Amino acid sequence: MLAGEVIDCHVLVIGSGGAGVRAAIEASKYGDTVLVSKTIIGKGGCTTMAEGGYNAVLREQDSCGIHFEDTLKGGAYLNDPELVHILVKEAPLRMGDLIHWGAVFDFTDTDEIAQRPFGGQRFPRTCYAGDRTGHEMMTTLVERLDSSKVSLLQEFTVIDLLKSGESVIGAIALDERGDIVLLKANSTILATGGGTKVYDISTNSSSGTGDGFAIGYRAGAELIDMEMIQFHPTGAVFPYDARGRLVTEAVRGEGGLLLNNLGERFMKQYDPERMELSTRDVVARAIATEIQDGRGTKNGGVYLDVTHLSREQIETRLPVMLEQFLKFGVDIREKPMEVAPTAHHIMGGLRITPECRTTLPGLFACGEVAGGVHGANRLGGNALADTQVFGKRAGEFAGKTEKRVKKVNEEQVKQQLDLLDSFLAGSDNPAGIRKQLQKVMWQGAGIFRNAADLNKTLETVNNLSTAKIRAETLRNLADCSIVKNMCLTSSLICRSALIRKESRGAHVRRDVKQTYDAQHSPFGHTYISQIHDGIEQKGAGT
Amino acid sequence: MKTLTVRVRRFDPDKDKESHYETYTVKVNEGARVLHVLHAIHDTMDSTLAYRHSCGSGQCGSCAVRVNGEPVLACMEEAQNNITIEPLNLSVKKDLVVDLLPTLETISSLKPSDALKMPTRSDIDMIKPLRDCIECLCCVSVCPAMDVTKFLGPTAMRQEMRLALDPRDSGDRVVDAVNEGLFTCTSCQACWKACPKNIEIPSKAIEKLRALANRRGFTLPRHQEVAALVKETGRSVTRIEPTFMELVNAEVIEPKGPVRATVGFFVGCMYNMRLPTAALDAIEVLKRNGIRVIIPKEQVCCGSPLIRTGQLAFLDTLKKRNIDAFQFRNIDTVMTMCAGCGSTLKNDYKTPFVVMDINEVLTKYGIEPPARLPFKATYHDPCHLLRGQGIREQPRQLILQVVDLVEMPSICCGSGGGVKSGIPDEAAALGKRRAEEIKKCGADVVISSCPFCEFHIAGHTDKPVKNIATVLLEGYMEKDRKKGNLIAS
Repeated sequence: MLAGEVIDCHVLVIGSGGAGVRAAIEASKYGDTVLVSKTIIGKGGCTTMAEGGYNAVLREQDSCGIHFEDTLKGGAYLNDPELVHILVKEAPLRMGDLIHWGAVFDFTDTDEIAQRPFGGQRFPRTCYAGDRTGHEMMTTLVERLDSSKVSLLQEFTVIDLLKSGESVIGAIALDERGDIVLLKANSTILATGGGTKVYDISTNSSSGTGDGFAIGYRAGAELIDMEMIQFHPTGAVFPYDARGRLVTEAVRGEGGLLLNNLGERFMKQYDPERMELSTRDVVARAIATEIQDGRGTKNGGVYLDVTHLSREQIETRLPVMLEQFLKFGVDIREKPMEVAPTAHHIMGGLRITPECRTTLPGLFACGEVAGGVHGANRLGGNALADTQVFGKRAGEFAGKTEKRVKKVNEEQVKQQLDLLDSFLAGSDNPAGIRKQLQKVMWQGAGIFRNAADLNKTLETVNNLSTAKIRAETLRNLADCSIVKNMCLTSSLICRSALIRKESRGAHVRRDVKQTYDAQHSPFGHTYISQIHDGIEQKGAGT
Repeated sequence: MKTLTVRVRRFDPDKDKESHYETYTVKVNEGARVLHVLHAIHDTMDSTLAYRHSCGSGQCGSCAVRVNGEPVLACMEEAQNNITIEPLNLSVKKDLVVDLLPTLETISSLKPSDALKMPTRSDIDMIKPLRDCIECLCCVSVCPAMDVTKFLGPTAMRQEMRLALDPRDSGDRVVDAVNEGLFTCTSCQACWKACPKNIEIPSKAIEKLRALANRRGFTLPRHQEVAALVKETGRSVTRIEPTFMELVNAEVIEPKGPVRATVGFFVGCMYNMRLPTAALDAIEVLKRNGIRVIIPKEQVCCGSPLIRTGQLAFLDTLKKRNIDAFQFRNIDTVMTMCAGCGSTLKNDYKTPFVVMDINEVLTKYGIEPPARLPFKATYHDPCHLLRGQGIREQPRQLILQVVDLVEMPSICCGSGGGVKSGIPDEAAALGKRRAEEIKKCGADVVISSCPFCEFHIAGHTDKPVKNIATVLLEGYMEKDRKKGNLIAS
């Protein structure tokens, strides 16, 4: 009596970025693994777009201790120390896996993996493949996946998790025609990535809609630190449709200068010691302030200038930047770029143990959808390492879980079908709702926050989530599910931002006065779930 | 903001028997890409329009479509008014969404050896240009060989070469490539020109794999015969009739009237030995337009038949002989008439002289206007002229001075890359397709500027196939005839 096809497996992986594919490869060692993705595997998500690099301690002069401290300091001491410890220890091992599987990272003249300096780190430990590190990793991982025994379901959109009592026993998905498929699994891994597409200006691919946060929350999992959104300081500003496109940190690493419309190197006012190479949250706030105070460009950005660099340096070190800007009519060898902050990464997410278990039995999480690794601000280069370290761990521990009885709750499936029917009978254009959501989040839950704006935004978001959005055909059902997920993720961000009444890392509350620094904050994680929300209190000085 | 009208090809497998075009008028922002036009249609007019997209910045390859017949990434291609947007030349699932998986599945994966043998820095640097591929399948969409053979295609070959260069891979990629159709590539270079990442598949993958195959003894026997002939005679075809150089029997040909320029003439095997009349016609046109022509006797085959088939053993000898022949005479500009020779001299040689195709020479110096001729012609772009040398407009400028021109799509005739000699059935199949395009466009005459194209297409169509110089000369003869009549009357 259940609609559609039923698939049964040992491990179900939802999401096909760096973390999901790594998890599936690992899980397949232990039993039948199914990887489900709403895109073509290797094409969707943000891993393949990543340019910066992969942090790993590879040299004798470096140490995991230093990497650990850099990460904690960058994270404003909100990170889970145990997760950070694992990240820095296992990043080199996972890099070894990639190399074994054929990854083509840049090498030094002495045939070692090359590493470069990156934001907030005291040792140059960022491994890179030109300026396409993420693409290199995905290409390697997808090739490895092809030789594994993982079953692939591509262009299937997961719309909710299946539960049996408190346990997660799989997921329910729509195929590309809009037909329902039930996916039963002994363990389910959420590796759905981030969600900053809920903001008007974002670096993310079109997949970055936060579905995993919403799906996990609806199933009853606990999420932490959902207010922690990283705004990358430099996104493109022009033309209109290219707003938010990532302009890599490497531009500043090569000597790019940030200038306001008076020609001043304004970082002097915000971080005179590190200037353009301050951490992302500081630079993003600096640029936003310059723009707000009327010292921005006509197009609403600031200048990022590399015209003082030699043509050769630009052509060899920043070829992708040169190419992308040329396509949009700006020769960066002759003219400065215009840049402005752009929503980039969500540090928060599902609360996980070191084995990537969430608070729900049967549900694991890894990659950007999981919280706790990066605390209140992520270091550049740690995200790619995160996907590999925790992707592998989620796959391993999910794989090692025993079989469970997977009795599908027919009432739950019926509720899903009813929801889908309501889309078919809806009246509001989902694209219109999505655009309103993005604008309102950018205005009210952006870099600088206060209770009044957050409350107003939350109210609007809640209204938008009740809109009767319409699916024109069965094939449009997935879009409607995604818009609903975006609304839910947005509300989690707003609620968590209201709960944290302090400024910490990337989260700034202008309406809150505080006298302590991050290391002495009385607060731990914010947490939010169907049954409770709040903020952890610490003893002073802990 | 601005308003654009576009045509989009629609197909719903549940409702339509065939695809059809719909026209949409939408408002988009200044600087909008084709993708944003699709978004505008989907979000405000018709949410059933199906298309893929993900990164929006040219990095994932999801959004490849054809705009006015050419594959592009929708997210990077600026939107213009009145464009036609169609899916890639692959099996269509719905509207602009094509079935990528069958093709993606043919691309090989690295098979790690048990013991890890690390690559060196120089291995990495060789592999890197081949690694940029985002599997958008633009190259597959344009590959003519894939249409008529079981060739796995350009990006599959790119991957085989990438794997062949990597010590960590335990597969035998040269054997795989040969079995996957390595020798079916006509070296038309459509794949390279369609590639959003500008990966030089023909020279960095196909030719290099063929060179590796040669060292393993896999070169096609017919190709080996050609190499032996070049080694013995300096020419890639046998002499069956008086050659152009024998017929001209002079080293320097003075023009009629003052000398406006002097060029060395690199004749090439095909015009010298199979189509000498076309070369003689070219000499007449050059003479008429003040160009002095020097034809060094010692020139030999440019080596292209060897380079394209991976047989590099005595290539350096050929190159030296050819460069010396012109350099000894202090020639600073060498003119080619054969598109293949021209592309080879420009791209595979390091010459101390400038190399120009005859179309470039004639348009640079300008020609005496011929009389117009009363037929409708179409022009077949030789691959090694259009893509190998970037020459598209000059032949058309010349032709339009003599005849009316109708266009047809620029697709390989099928005779390049050693395919005519090595896999004649494939060359014939592609030649037949050109004949169909010629028929479709309604031209009376086919004009081209490459001996391989002229020779091969003539074998498949009943329309006359003429070299561009021949047509210009006919125009001059008509002009002289008219003037003669005037004088007489």
